[in-house]
Amino acid sequence: MCDSCGCDITPDHSHDPKIVEVHQSLLAANTAMAKKNRAHIEKMGAVAINMISSPGSGKTTLLEKTIEAIGDSLRIGVIEGDIETERDAERIRAKGVPVIQLTTGGACHLDAAQIHKGLHLLEKEPDGDKLDLLVIENVGNLVCPATFDLGEHHRVVLVSVPEGPDKPAKYPKAFTSSQVFIISKTDLLPYFDFPVEEARAEALQLNPKLLVMDLSATSGQGFEQWLDYLKEICRK
Amino acid sequence: MHEMSLVQGLLSQLHSLAREHNKTKVISVSMDIGPLSGVVIDSFQFAFDILSDEDPLTHGASLVIESSPATYHCCGCGAKIEEEEKPEACPVCLENLLSPEGGDDIILRQVQME
Repeated sequence: MCDSCGCDITPDHSHDPKIVEVHQSLLAANTAMAKKNRAHIEKMGAVAINMISSPGSGKTTLLEKTIEAIGDSLRIGVIEGDIETERDAERIRAKGVPVIQLTTGGACHLDAAQIHKGLHLLEKEPDGDKLDLLVIENVGNLVCPATFDLGEHHRVVLVSVPEGPDKPAKYPKAFTSSQVFIISKTDLLPYFDFPVEEARAEALQLNPKLLVMDLSATSGQGFEQWLDYLKEICRK
Repeated sequence: MHEMSLVQGLLSQLHSLAREHNKTKVISVSMDIGPLSGVVIDSFQFAFDILSDEDPLTHGASLVIESSPATYHCCGCGAKIEEEEKPEACPVCLENLLSPEGGDDIILRQVQME
């Protein structure tokens, strides 16, 4: 037992204060795992995108229409992240592509360790190891997912027309950490006050390197640019 | 909301450090959380207060958070500007082409233990 405090945790510990200089990111473990994931995805011959948005911005619908429209020109695999339920994975599975549902059980974001697990599960699915494009659909949340690198190559942030144009200003991290910003549900523009050019300019002010697209998965408006972008990033 | 899981990660790192240095009590923790890290400092502090209180290693430990400013790089003229808040426009060329660099770190800097 320790003479100084009577504790019995480690008998040989000392009570001299000690200052330890750490200088390590709290995200170091996640970043290291994300790096492994990226290497794993590249070994599979695929390119990965991480889709981030609020709940209900149309990530899953965009994905369904993308799978339909892209046909045989790209082999797509999907990792779905949600707090609960298999519903999104069922919708994607119905389109005939390999898909894994990750349920976080309450956590507001996916992290690299979950994706590591998801990659191994996806490879066990039929054709899950023969992909050109891996799409990770993050938990619907415009805040927390922006902090966690999953090992993706490109990050795509969506805002739908009904949500309003002020999202880049209010949730900057999702926009400063992304490469693509999609304004979705443009078929609803006649019914909502959403100045597309203002939203585009505001997002570019935050991140001048951002590629901004506006599209509607329902009407097909702007879809060509999105499909061309996906084919471009997957070109070997 | 993810501040809670970040603090859980911090506590497990403190446990590893305590084992490594053969200490049983954390007295103070100092962190550097950048303004573009996506972390709400009040929420981080709140999560730390709750979670550290439940753990004998960290019970009563203090948390000091510093926030280093971000650097903004102007894609128009190439100027580098260090500011707490993102300026409206580049003070050199007056264009709105400022891209942030850094300021997104969540760094555990120093731990005092006994």
